[in-house]
Amino acid sequence: MPSTAAAAAAAAANQPDELIRRLRSGDGAVKLKALRELKNQIIGNRTKKLSYIKLGTVADVVGVLASSVSIDSDPGSGSGSSLIVESAAIIGSFACGVDAGVKAVLEAGAFPHLFRILSNPNEKVVDTTARSLRMIFQSRLAPKYDFSKNENADCLISLLNSDNENVTGLGASIITHSCKTIADQKILSSAGVLRRLITLLNGSLYQREASLEALTAMLSSNSAVISNFVDLDNGRALSSLINLMEDKSPRTRLLASTCLIVIGRTCSSYLQDIELKNKLILILVELLEEPDRVGDEVPFALAKLIVDREDLQRLAFEANALDKLCNFLQRETLQPKRFEGLLLAIAELCSRLESCRSKFFSLKVLNLVTNSLKHDAADVRTVACICLRNVTRSVKKLSAGYFMNEMVVDPLIQLLHDSSNSVQVAALSVISNIVVDFANRKSIFLRCGGIKELVRLSQSMDPTLRLNAVLALKNFVFLADNSSKECVLAELTVSTLVSLICDPEPKVQEQALAFVRNILESGIDSIKPVFTEDGIIINAVGRQVRNALDLNVCLEGIYALGNVATGNELHKEAVMHQILEPQVNGPSQSVLMKFLQGNNSQLRVGAIWCIINLTYPDGPGTSSRIARLRDGGVICQLKKLADDPCLDAKFRVKTALVQCVNNNSCAK
Amino acid sequence: MSLFWIVLGQPGGLEEMATSKKLITREEWEKKLSDVKIRKEDMNKLVMDFLVMEGYVEAAEKFRVESGTEPDIDLATITDRMAAKKAVQCGNVEDAIEKVNDFNPEILDTNPQLFFHLQQQRLIELIRDGKVEEALEFAQEELAPRGEENQSFLEELERTVALLAFEDVSNCPVGDLLDMSQRLKTASEVDAAILASQSHEKDPKLPSLLKMLIWAQSQLDEKAAYPRINNLSTATLEDPRDL
Repeated sequence: MPSTAAAAAAAAANQPDELIRRLRSGDGAVKLKALRELKNQIIGNRTKKLSYIKLGTVADVVGVLASSVSIDSDPGSGSGSSLIVESAAIIGSFACGVDAGVKAVLEAGAFPHLFRILSNPNEKVVDTTARSLRMIFQSRLAPKYDFSKNENADCLISLLNSDNENVTGLGASIITHSCKTIADQKILSSAGVLRRLITLLNGSLYQREASLEALTAMLSSNSAVISNFVDLDNGRALSSLINLMEDKSPRTRLLASTCLIVIGRTCSSYLQDIELKNKLILILVELLEEPDRVGDEVPFALAKLIVDREDLQRLAFEANALDKLCNFLQRETLQPKRFEGLLLAIAELCSRLESCRSKFFSLKVLNLVTNSLKHDAADVRTVACICLRNVTRSVKKLSAGYFMNEMVVDPLIQLLHDSSNSVQVAALSVISNIVVDFANRKSIFLRCGGIKELVRLSQSMDPTLRLNAVLALKNFVFLADNSSKECVLAELTVSTLVSLICDPEPKVQEQALAFVRNILESGIDSIKPVFTEDGIIINAVGRQVRNALDLNVCLEGIYALGNVATGNELHKEAVMHQILEPQVNGPSQSVLMKFLQGNNSQLRVGAIWCIINLTYPDGPGTSSRIARLRDGGVICQLKKLADDPCLDAKFRVKTALVQCVNNNSCAK
Repeated sequence: MSLFWIVLGQPGGLEEMATSKKLITREEWEKKLSDVKIRKEDMNKLVMDFLVMEGYVEAAEKFRVESGTEPDIDLATITDRMAAKKAVQCGNVEDAIEKVNDFNPEILDTNPQLFFHLQQQRLIELIRDGKVEEALEFAQEELAPRGEENQSFLEELERTVALLAFEDVSNCPVGDLLDMSQRLKTASEVDAAILASQSHEKDPKLPSLLKMLIWAQSQLDEKAAYPRINNLSTATLEDPRDL
């Protein structure tokens, strides 16, 4: 049957191998036809793009582009420009939305060719090339455009000044992609780019949006450039930006709002006006309804606006933002990006205000958030943790033991095995909150195997994981009963604890010492376990107190020793030894004297607490300890602190001195 | 658009006296209407916008020369847009895709929904032509990967493939996919996407203005009896019924 044979032949001609063969043909017409087929196969089709990238087709296309540029420079040849248009379009499409494509395009050396073609006289050629370059610059993999080179800056200005809409758009995209540092922003600002971008705000929709994105990149975290911008044309630039927040195009509204957010986050004076703040929030809340890209990006913008700003969080709450966000969260088919943004915005709203958290619980979305701990996308799992971390700050719910149940705890413990580091860290931050649990349901966490996992991560090679794991352990033993504490110590082992106290990271040391401090805080029974194995824990604590440079490490250490000093004679003597021993490689002065004489009032208070506990009346060795303290100059120094400017210190000194003096008079 | 507000602004003044329905005679009404000044340029822009959006290239070109009204789009691009739209309407979807890609390769790369709908339309055309094997292969090769990327595409794909399960498509629950209206729907999506790529709105202004007119009249009906426009194509004023 000839018709079937013809169909089979046509199908064969469409096969990748055959198409690539024709791409390499010497005949321009064959080549052009193959290019067009390739273009129509890959545009919009990710799967096809990936398979052609694997076959190395990108290099072939760039080859065609390069050779066509030289044909095209020969006047009288018309076919060159069609080849350029088709191959440039294909290169742009490979770079659109596929990281592997961007990489292949860059590796094949397409960049310099494309830039050169921008000066081609044929408008269609320039349009396609500018679009393709823009596709590449929209990828994070594109190389950074170096504005500090004069010729580059000149080239950018000439792009921005072009009459061709695609070329000005390319200029703006380059800024959006590459303007990252204060130095970049300064160079562009002094080259007059701000003014040009503001002019483009009056151009077509496309130019306006490209220019808004570029402006946001230029103004981000740079107060000098922001004030340049605001001063331009007597503030007209700022007011036209504010006007664009009410534009007809949703994307323009979003981009203008984002730009204002960037300005307001850096220079809050431009975002003081309550009406403007309200307007901004209302616009963002309304934009949540938008489909596609705009709707996906809005929650991130909202989150960025309200992060750490209680006033804005309150306004957003009053504008019903939380209800809306939670409503959206309950919709059935949500793309991961949208889901992530919604969770993040909810997290930020609940980061400070208890009213928001109560509302969150009343909206009954906790289960949904807990379920999303198992989401396929790591980014979603991370923000689900962040959201839980912020809502579990609710002391009211926490003290009711609201979160300490298998439904919440189990998936969190699972996440401690997650392949993504940031998910693990985020999960630890939630665990740190919920294990505080005042309702004495800590055993549930033990039973679920949580402690074992925390101990495992406390020995991770990654310092952030170690830090957060130790922090969670510290919170777990806070106000825990002695049997729970013993379980934790047994799981952790004395030697691991010692190595954490001596960790290379001061922040880990601090948390390990705070852990010891929490362990020690329930009387003599809680002190004994710390004295196993020849007191290596107390020795490690003492060593840090004497030698550490970090204030918080010293502080946690001295309080831990203060807690030990509430124990029996043996314990008190051990503390005496640690704080009166002269410092290694330092002056002969003891660490106790150093703290008492130092400028830091917190350290003074910690040291005085130690003395109070060491000189507590009725101990058989109390008199001897007071005598040794006196010999060490401590009592004398205490007297000097009788008028300490820090009230806490002043008050504690009084107690300490009374104990020492009374003991003295009893002894006489 | 300023024009619209002028038209609406006129009856707005009646509100205060609208305790009972007021009768406005034709003379009064015509006098009021003649007081409204509409700039000729605005009217011309409105006409040009309509011609451009609806794709009347030759008329637009003539109108440009005669009225001196500059269109906000290169008139040459209208032909391309119309050709792509028409190709979908005739069921030549592959041809339409090529035309869109020639016009601007970015459109289908950045608009997954439109791309999917075009591919879906291609599948529908294959099924319509009875090319069952080809249709199945096409669905598997081209559409299934899109369904994996997006849940709602998967549902639409399933609905479309269901066409193959019925002997008599005229009686099947998804038979509407084979209607002309499905082609028109896809074609207008193509039209809108091309217009959007030209930074242009997707609907002409004139029809929305007429919608506003109807809305304004129905608002006014509650307060007054006046010469109404009932037939939009002739736009003649009809005398109010006696109260």
